[in-house]
Amino acid sequence: MIQTTQQGRRLFILLLGALLVLPAAPGRATVLGATGRTFTLTARADTISTGDGDSMWMWGLGLGGGRMQYPGPTLIVTEGDSITVILRNQLPVPVSLVFPGHSVTASGGTQGMLTREVPAARPGVPGQAVVYRFTATHPGTFSYHSGTLPDLEVEMGLVGALIVRPRGSPNQAYNDPASAFDREFLYLVTEADPVLHQQLAFSCLSAAGCDLASVDLTRRHPTDWFVNGRTFPDTMMDPFVAYLPTQPYNCAPMFHPGDRVLIRWVAGGADLHPFHTHGQNHLVIARDGRLLRTPGSAAPDLAVSDYTTTNVPGETVDALWGPWTGERLGWDVYGTQDINPHTCNAAPGSNFDPVSREYCPDHDKPLPVTLPSQSDVTYGVVGVGMWGGTPYLGVSGDVPPINPASSTQMNVVGGISFMWHSHAERELTTNNIFIGGMATMALIVPVGTAIP
Amino acid sequence: MQTSIRWTMRLAPVVAALLTPPVARAAVFIQCPAPLLTQNATGGSCGAGPCYLDPKNPAASSDPGCVDPEVVDPVTGKPTFFDTCKVRLDPVTGQPSGETTDPTIVCRSITCGDGHVNMADGSDMYVFGFRDVTNAPESLLAGAGFFLGEDGSLTGGAEFAAPTLVARVGQRLYLTLTNVGFRERPDLGDPHTVHFHGFPNAAPVFDGEPMSSFGLNMGASLTYFYDNQYAGTYMWHCHVEAAEHMQMGMLGNLYILPAQDGQAVTHGGQTYTRFAYDDCPTLGTLPLGTPDPMCGTTGYDVMYFLQQASFDPVFHYNDQTYQKLDFANMRDTYAMLNGRGYPDTVNPGVMVNSAGAPSQPLPAIPFTVDAQGVRAPLAIAQGQRLLLHLSSLATESFFTVTVLGIPMRIVGQGAQLLRGPTGINTSYVTGSVTLSGGEAVDVILDTTGVPPGTYFLYTTNLNHLSNDAEDFGGMMTEIVVASAAQ
Repeated sequence: MIQTTQQGRRLFILLLGALLVLPAAPGRATVLGATGRTFTLTARADTISTGDGDSMWMWGLGLGGGRMQYPGPTLIVTEGDSITVILRNQLPVPVSLVFPGHSVTASGGTQGMLTREVPAARPGVPGQAVVYRFTATHPGTFSYHSGTLPDLEVEMGLVGALIVRPRGSPNQAYNDPASAFDREFLYLVTEADPVLHQQLAFSCLSAAGCDLASVDLTRRHPTDWFVNGRTFPDTMMDPFVAYLPTQPYNCAPMFHPGDRVLIRWVAGGADLHPFHTHGQNHLVIARDGRLLRTPGSAAPDLAVSDYTTTNVPGETVDALWGPWTGERLGWDVYGTQDINPHTCNAAPGSNFDPVSREYCPDHDKPLPVTLPSQSDVTYGVVGVGMWGGTPYLGVSGDVPPINPASSTQMNVVGGISFMWHSHAERELTTNNIFIGGMATMALIVPVGTAIP
Repeated sequence: MQTSIRWTMRLAPVVAALLTPPVARAAVFIQCPAPLLTQNATGGSCGAGPCYLDPKNPAASSDPGCVDPEVVDPVTGKPTFFDTCKVRLDPVTGQPSGETTDPTIVCRSITCGDGHVNMADGSDMYVFGFRDVTNAPESLLAGAGFFLGEDGSLTGGAEFAAPTLVARVGQRLYLTLTNVGFRERPDLGDPHTVHFHGFPNAAPVFDGEPMSSFGLNMGASLTYFYDNQYAGTYMWHCHVEAAEHMQMGMLGNLYILPAQDGQAVTHGGQTYTRFAYDDCPTLGTLPLGTPDPMCGTTGYDVMYFLQQASFDPVFHYNDQTYQKLDFANMRDTYAMLNGRGYPDTVNPGVMVNSAGAPSQPLPAIPFTVDAQGVRAPLAIAQGQRLLLHLSSLATESFFTVTVLGIPMRIVGQGAQLLRGPTGINTSYVTGSVTLSGGEAVDVILDTTGVPPGTYFLYTTNLNHLSNDAEDFGGMMTEIVVASAAQ
């Protein structure tokens, strides 16, 4: 049963309009974020939008003096660099930052429990700053978050990802070539309880500052689930869209057959999220910024393949998905000659065409079954669908309109898509509205179709 | 790059016109390239070849008991087809094996709809689910219309857990799904799908995730095709409106047997002929005597499958009574294995619901089944190895399980042998294993030196050792170790 509020319906129609341009620019070869050695982050309050049509009051970090964003800016640095993070605060509560996995020295502000804090902002009083310094000693995927009242402040949005790239190896996650990738995608997964955010917003109305005692975190009950600060299907929209000004990052993997796809999972919240990758297993090569390897081995010889990996709070996981080629399906995933004339010339000693990456032993084998007629099936869910019209990669076909706002289909490049999502299926909702939550669609397009 | 995409957009309608399906056809449509093997239950001869049923054309069946689905018992007035035509059963699952006259082809037929199951505390639970109808000819499926069960043989309604799907590496599985609709919530009009969770190098057309493909409408059939190439523990479920349909029970076991089954491999002084994985990738390709440290490590004597799932009775009640569904407050209080809470888990038989219809076919203990479907518990002889395909399809909860008194060796995970990229054996011995929804492991319980007796496999989330308010039961089952085989 579909349960969608009127508000939600309007939103979906709005989103569908945006989806029509999806093939134009949903993916990025590399993770979006801020690069450099010195970063100034300012903690500020603002609101975000959720897929149920609601908005939520948040605390977040803005780059420089900019508007806060959820999650905080992804800091992308290079192995060996000395990193400086200057934290300023415009929130009515003290804030700080911790960088798990790094040895940090902090100066300025006042000493808090975990690290030095920037005191609460007070009108008319010049803002202080805390300077955090650390050396990015290890390449890998890390997170950062508030070290002050972290149970509350991380729930409120003071969390972000830190990526340390290996020096001299920009297309590897680590120094070992086994971590090489063609495309990489960040999945910072979080959850939020909108009731807490409402309570805190009310408690902060007083000129005297926030009455934190009025917010009972023992009753925290998240009902919104995010990837990179957005709920599905906002995850698939372009990055930096004007209608999501405080949620700049999308999560819309797009790649070619045969690509090595690096997934950087960061569990930024307080709950566990089992993440399932449709289409193919992923090989977990590292956790918490360390390759899974035996002593003395440079390569991740203890890597583990799986189709679902549970994101544990505070942990990061690097995994190589695929490569997906449609190998051994038993039929030609590019269609037979009458449908899609194409050749498959396997490289010597290989079963794959080196250009198209097609698995040649299945070349020109027909689909073994007859598919139901269009009236026997329903395309998509609540107007969101990625079916390209045929089972074949690179072959578009007719799809009936699946939404009154749509006169055509969304996937016109003949791509095939797979859902990558939390397998705690309850989390495919946004505050009781299905479908939403912690999910996105990965789109595979044929070699030759350009990816932005 | 913008230019190339716009060009593709202009081309799309042309390609679409070329692909428009030319012919309409009947909605219920079993697709299976070879007839199903039967047990020749009538005792008659099937000539020189095997006894088989052709579900598309029963008149062409070689088994005389399968030729005419219209035969009616003169006394009861009910069709006798299912008494006289019995397809072969899988010796482990007790369900139709789907074996056909072609050993490389397996055909299963299932329906999807709603029904009722029995919870271990005796309460009735409304569910969505699947039902195995592999033994039904196409004419009966189509003739039953949306709702099966009118003929008294296809006692309609969903079963939980869903039918267990099994194939061997090298076998192609043709799985025909027929959507018979919801008997009690026809207003929903929901499509359904089969998601083969973990299928390697999948294609969206058979992935069952409806945003990447499509769901199957009421009254129609869709045949999924899986060319199975990799052994391991997978799982399957409906992926339409997954937060609802999966909580409502559209969940099942699925495992693929390795190609090396049947070959003798000696490991640790024991010779095995059945394995969790193709753990000797070099079998047959290396000269005799070449060491491969993983060879035979996944060998076992007895195999079974356990799937964790859990129900929130409030959610089910709301769905049954046309109420708003509360995803946000979903809270499971019935924790189960293979669709049953303890002590129903150790009942080897097919359970029936409050209306007397078969509802829960799968116990959570290994059992034997004879050709007539009669079942008996199967003990493990001391010294034998028990392989468990352990998976979870819980929609809200995380479960840890332990086996009190028998160490667990985890030999596979995510349908992959636990073997590192360079060949390191990464299997491990543990006292417990935690699964999230969508995760699976292969567990070997080695009973060497384990005294005969009854051992308990149960969740260490101890609050779930309960059947809702009944403070007893839940996610627990028994493993019986008998004296060593002489």
